Amino acid sequence: MSTNTGTAAGAVVIIGAGMAGYTAATQLRKLGHEDAITLVDAEPATYDRPPLSKNLFEEDFRIEKLAFATAEDLQTMHIETRFGAQVMQIDPAAGEVVLADGDTLRADTVIIAMGGSARELPIPGADLPGVTTLRTFDDALELRNSVTAGTRVAVVGAGLIGAELASALRLHGAEVTLIDPMEIPLLPAVGELLATHLHAMHEPRGIRVVTGLTSEFAESDGGLVVKVQDGPEITVDRIVVGVGLVPNVELAEAAGLDVDNGILVDETHRTSAPNVYAIGDVARTRDSAGTLHRREEHWEAAQLSGVEVAYAVLGQEIPARGASWFWSDRHDCHLEATGRLSGPGVVVVRNAGDHPAVFLVEGGLLQGAASVNDTQTVRAARRLIDQRIPVAEGELADPNVSLRSLLKQKR
Amino acid sequence: MSEEGIVVAQVGDIDEGEGIQIEAAVLGTVDNVAVFNDDGEYFALDDTCTHEVASLSEGWVEDGCVECPLHAAKFCLGDGSVQSMPATVDVYPHRVVLDGDDIRVIPNPERLA
Repeated sequence: MSTNTGTAAGAVVIIGAGMAGYTAATQLRKLGHEDAITLVDAEPATYDRPPLSKNLFEEDFRIEKLAFATAEDLQTMHIETRFGAQVMQIDPAAGEVVLADGDTLRADTVIIAMGGSARELPIPGADLPGVTTLRTFDDALELRNSVTAGTRVAVVGAGLIGAELASALRLHGAEVTLIDPMEIPLLPAVGELLATHLHAMHEPRGIRVVTGLTSEFAESDGGLVVKVQDGPEITVDRIVVGVGLVPNVELAEAAGLDVDNGILVDETHRTSAPNVYAIGDVARTRDSAGTLHRREEHWEAAQLSGVEVAYAVLGQEIPARGASWFWSDRHDCHLEATGRLSGPGVVVVRNAGDHPAVFLVEGGLLQGAASVNDTQTVRAARRLIDQRIPVAEGELADPNVSLRSLLKQKR
Repeated sequence: MSEEGIVVAQVGDIDEGEGIQIEAAVLGTVDNVAVFNDDGEYFALDDTCTHEVASLSEGWVEDGCVECPLHAAKFCLGDGSVQSMPATVDVYPHRVVLDGDDIRVIPNPERLA
């Protein structure tokens, strides 16, 4: 355990330097943790991933620009780094993390923030050259370097990443086909009305939208063919599959930690081993009542879990978390959503300008909201939800009533 | 002292919790400047978020901070320091003085064009 300074957390090794892991490291320092912190990642830097599907064709797309911190910044914060290093083994009982190069890091506390890998389709041809996924900076860079104006690209999966990538590809001049088995993707995330509105943006901008289950990829003369069940065969030059994420649980499993589609953690992000925590995309909460929650695969959820685990590791009270929040950028549109937009409640629509805003109200309280190019509405909605301020459906539907004024009135 | 800075607005022009954008040409600065009213106190920062291109004047003002309208990076109104990701670089602050009803901004010397 801890040697002579600070806290019982002792030397902390954080595996994974994405949003969650980086935040955990910096938050530990902010809270006064003085013992060693080592940030380990197979990637070459600690960097932000949302731009990978949005900004990959922008002129200044460099890993330095996506990095959360420079080597100097990290040094100033006394955060040791082992970038480009693969972890081979976590040994909770011995308090050790073993790297592929043979080094063993002493770890009184381990925080696993290894995220996930892009899910691959279990279909013939999924491993053909030219079929890729998008998860890392290198994935994005490779795509950037191989797509030019006129390149035919199939994007399989029209969720957040697929839709964003299709938009970026199209803007770059590629001939894009966007394929999804669902008539309206993203329905649980933003509700039917807005999901329909968002999905309908692709075709007018020149993206071919195909609804159907992708059943096979094959090579053909001068390209690849995507076969869609009961649908067309689409000949392309490139295929990018964006069908979700598989949590990287192998090391945790090998270490004997409880795992069920994610590393199981309690409300304090602690795994089944007392000195091992898990945060971000890789973690899944099993609450004190034993209920398993969905993994939260959003940027802010990862960030907040990084903040929270620092409090937990240091034995301090974890600040309360408010309504969830995420954004998506596609077709020059900025979508934001907070809370839940599916499940029990009444859907209220506000029609103003080019895009509708949607709300879900249950028992006179706002449960969720989403808007396009109107962030003030969602920022206000978030506070209305968190502060449990009663709302009237008529006011929400009225474009002349700003949500901010509702917040001010009732505060 | 009343000659200090440039008058950019009058008290009452900026609603509580709101910001306005002052064009760079008005102040002779390299970036536009956002002027905020946080509970009756006025603050000025470089207007462009250091994360991606967005106008902080359209951000959410609360408790001494402004939250970027695009990705919710948070900056301290007083000194421009980053309070929350995804931004990692501070924005430059400018001084604001009230002269009667005049809101005057004194551009940060480091940000003069």
